[in-house]
Formats: sequence, C-alpha cells, structure tokens
Amino acid sequence: MLHFLVPRLMSAVIAALVSSLIVFVLMRSVPGDIVGQMLGQTSDPTATEALRSFFGLDRAVHMQFLEWLAQVVQGDLGRSWYQGRPVTAMVADAFMVTLQIALLTLVLATLIGVPLGVIAGIREGSRLDAAIQAFNLIGLSAPVFWVGLMLLVGASALFGWSPPFTWSAPSENLSDNIAIVILPVLSLALLQAAAYSHFVRECMVNELRRDYIRAAFAKGLGPAEIYFKHALRNILIPLVTFMGLILIQILGGTVVIESLFSLPGLGRLILSGIQGRDYPVVQGALLFVVFIAIVVNFTVDALYGLIDPRMRA
Amino acid sequence: MNGLRALKRLLLESSASRLISYSLLAIFAVLILAPEWVAPQSPIAVDPRRALQPPSAQHWFGTDDVGRDLFARVIHATRITLGLVAGALLLSALIGGALGLISGFAGGLVDQVLARLVDVILTFPPIIAGVVITGVLGPGADNLVLALAIVYLPLFFRIARSGAMAENARTYVEASRALGFGETNILIRQITPNVLPLILMQYVLLFPLALQIEAALGFLGLGVAPPTPDWGSILEQGKNFIMVAWWISLWPGLFLLASAFAVMVLGRSLQSRLGSG
Repeated sequence: MLHFLVPRLMSAVIAALVSSLIVFVLMRSVPGDIVGQMLGQTSDPTATEALRSFFGLDRAVHMQFLEWLAQVVQGDLGRSWYQGRPVTAMVADAFMVTLQIALLTLVLATLIGVPLGVIAGIREGSRLDAAIQAFNLIGLSAPVFWVGLMLLVGASALFGWSPPFTWSAPSENLSDNIAIVILPVLSLALLQAAAYSHFVRECMVNELRRDYIRAAFAKGLGPAEIYFKHALRNILIPLVTFMGLILIQILGGTVVIESLFSLPGLGRLILSGIQGRDYPVVQGALLFVVFIAIVVNFTVDALYGLIDPRMRA
Repeated sequence: MNGLRALKRLLLESSASRLISYSLLAIFAVLILAPEWVAPQSPIAVDPRRALQPPSAQHWFGTDDVGRDLFARVIHATRITLGLVAGALLLSALIGGALGLISGFAGGLVDQVLARLVDVILTFPPIIAGVVITGVLGPGADNLVLALAIVYLPLFFRIARSGAMAENARTYVEASRALGFGETNILIRQITPNVLPLILMQYVLLFPLALQIEAALGFLGLGVAPPTPDWGSILEQGKNFIMVAWWISLWPGLFLLASAFAVMVLGRSLQSRLGSG
C-alpha cells in the first residue's frame, strides 16, 4: 500500500508548494497593499517607505517567499499584520468553528442522503424514486446561501426566532452554540444530502443490475440480506471516496455560509485577510486549506485498503 | 407535420422533470433574448419614494432599498448572470480543452508538465479558488469571468486529455499515420472532432456548478458591481434587509434554482443519451 500512497503524497506536496507560490506572487503583483490601506489617501513617501520596509515588502518577491517558506517548514506561519496574533493560533481558532459546522453537516447529510439514495435505488422507477430524485435535483440546484436566507426568514416568520449574532463555542455556551450553528448546518446539509442521495442511488441501481444479485435472489436469500449485506457493502468504497469529496466541498462551501451567519470560521478569515491585504493570514489559511484537502484525500486512499483488502497489494 | 410528430413524441416520452426543464429553458431563452419585452420597466432607475415596497400589482416582485423595480432587475439579470457563466465556461473549455487535447495526444514530458500544473488549481476547493482570484484582483465582471474560467479549466483539461488518449490508441489513427498524414492534421482533423462531444457534455454538466459559484461570489460582493443587475449581487444587496424585505432575496434565488435545475436535467438527459461517458 505504501508504494501506492507515497507518490500521491509527494505530488500533493509539490502542488501545495506551487499553489502557495502562485498565491504569494499574485497578491504582491496587484496594486494596493497593507501600507496603502494603513496610510489611506494622505500618504507621504517617507512613511510609505518605512512601513514597506517594516513589513518586508521592499525586498525581492522571491526572497520574501523563501523567508516565509523557511518559517513554514519550522511550523511558524508568521503573525497577522493587523492583529499581531500568530497566524497558527488564528487559523486553529477559525478551523474549530468550520470543523464543527463541517462535521455536523457531514453527519446530517449522511443520515438523510444515504437512506434516501438506498430506498430510491431499490425502488427504481417507482413514484417514491421520482419524488426522491426531484428532491435531489432541487437540493443540488438551490444556492446554499439562499437556502440560509430563506431559513432565516422562515424561522423568524413561523416561530418568531432568529439566531444570536455573536459566536459562542460549544465549550462556552452549548445552547447558544446550537442556536447559532443550526441554520448554517441545515442549509449546507440540504445540498450535501441531495448530492449523497443522488450518488448512492446511482451506485445502488448499478449494483442491483449485476449478476451476483440475481444469483442471490435465485438461491432464495431474503431482500434485506441482499440489499444491505451484499449491495450496500459493495458500494462502500465509492461511498467513502464520495464522503471525502463532500467533506472538502463542505469546507469550501462554508465560506459563503460563514459570511451570511457571521461565523468566525476559516472562510471568513481568508475573505477578511484578502480584503485587508493581510498577506500572512491569507497565505497561512490557504496553506492550511490545501493541507486539509491533502489529509482528507490521503485518509480516503488509506481507507480503501481497510475496506477492500485487494487494494493493499 | 413531421416536426409536430417529433415534438409530440418528445413530450410523451419525457419524464416530468425533463418537461419542466425544457419549458424553463425556453422561458430563459426568451428572457435572455428580449428582457425589455417581458419587463419594460428600467432595471436601474432609482425612486427613493418607493423603497422597500412588498410585491404588488404595480411592482410584481416588490422594490429594493433604493426603490428599483425588482421584477425588471431579476428579469434583466438573466442575460447578465447566465451570459457571464456561459462566457467563462466557454473560455475555460477553449483553453482547457485545447491544452488537454495537446497533452493527451503528445504524451511524454509535455503531458507530465501540463497535468501537474493543472493539478495545482485543483488543490483548492472551487469556491476558495474563486474567492482568492476575485478577492485579490478586485470585483468586476471581467475578473469574475477570469476566476470562473480558471477554476473550471482543470476539469475541461482532464476530459479532453483522456479523450485524446483514448482516440489516439484507436485503429483509425494508426491507419492515418500509415497513410502518411501529419501529426497536426491527425490532432486537428480527426481527434478533435471525436473529443468535442465529451467537452460539450462537460460544459453542460459544469454549468449549474459554475452558476452556483458565480452567485456565491456575487453574494460575497466579489462579483458584478451594482447597479448592473445580477442575481448574486441582488442577493448580496438583499442580505442586509432580509428581516424587513424578504422579497429582495426570494426572487433571484428562485431564478438561480430554476436555471440550475433546467441545465442540470438537460445535462443528465444528454449523459444518458450518450451513454455513461
């Protein structure tokens, strides 16, 4: 299994390096930097120069990149130019928020999407199947943030309730935390449940058409055993891959939902970092996103080996 | 007569979702071609005395915070939003498709380098890549198109590359080589036409996804700048008034949903007609 995983890891690391370099150069090649933002319209040349040299922006871009990279290798992402806080701490705090949303969404979407897909697959062509497919199409078509907006309106109109505006971590105040995350999770889960359900249905339909299923019916096995023990087991591998894909998608998708519900997550950190030209924050947070994507993909690959021993060779 | 019969057969054999999809596509075509015919009011005329009015006989979709007619804005936005996505994906398909064809056909070092470079874009989730590109370059229609084109380039690249590889291994290509056709000729005259349907299919399948990203970027304030009507931008504007004027947010979202739905169903029926590939 190692010789299957190591080259993948290597190319992922190279891709992460190159993407960091591109982001680094891109940010420094467009007009407007933190110095301009700090000094505003009335900048005098001496102050500009002093600040540029303070932030290291007066040196060659490749030198700045190498210095940053040398720090990164030692596990130091630098400090935010605005807040002075270490970027690693800021990313860690923001990630906990995003991770909570992502995991809750993943659980909810799996609990809704997988059973729907299995049922639709087993009852292929029935009215129930058509209804589930319609749900899938609508769930996949509805913009996540729009669903969030409509949930806000709906909750306020029906129950006179709206979520609190300031973030509380689950360790601080659990009931406030639940009140804050419930609508974001519901809006993200609708899309992902639909994606899951569609995917599981396709897999199930394909699997049930195969000869071994017919043979199992012919030898008199009960439908429950055939569907759940045989068919479902065989779609586990694509399902695990899909779970990884969905997790990465949710991590990305939270950018918009975090902005809508004012959640201090990773997406908001990146967005505000870009808007304030806080380069160390943007670079650190993006590198972390890429790192998470690599870890998820790597875990998925490793899980194959556990589910299907043929992959271990 | 023949056309009528074909239409009848199409309608009879189609599922409910396909019928809805085709009707929606027809409606969107009208809205794109002649928005002023459907909504003669101006989509940008401001009237502060009529700000934040709920839907009424005079303003079917209500008005926004500066008194612009939302029906006109949403209808006129159809051409802009869908046009931006269509243009961006076309750019992406042209560049990604061409690079993919060359990469798959040439193989070797060229292929290795191109494939690795394209993989770099895939290291980011699409929406994050979109946020970074539009955020750094600044909002505006041109940067939005550029961002969407870059985000989806790898997916066109991959499909064109694997298509070119598969075609390159087939007997007719070998026969052409034996007959003395040049490599450029084989790539352009023979392989490209056979890979084109795959690229077209990818285009239709990616359209709803790109539309979601376009709307999300607009919602984050990274898309088309007001007063130009765009569904995502109207949603961004409506966000601040969501508790007092829900109608600003309702309609653009419904139009986004309907257009994504229509194209998605079209993509799936194309997919099932062309086989699973």
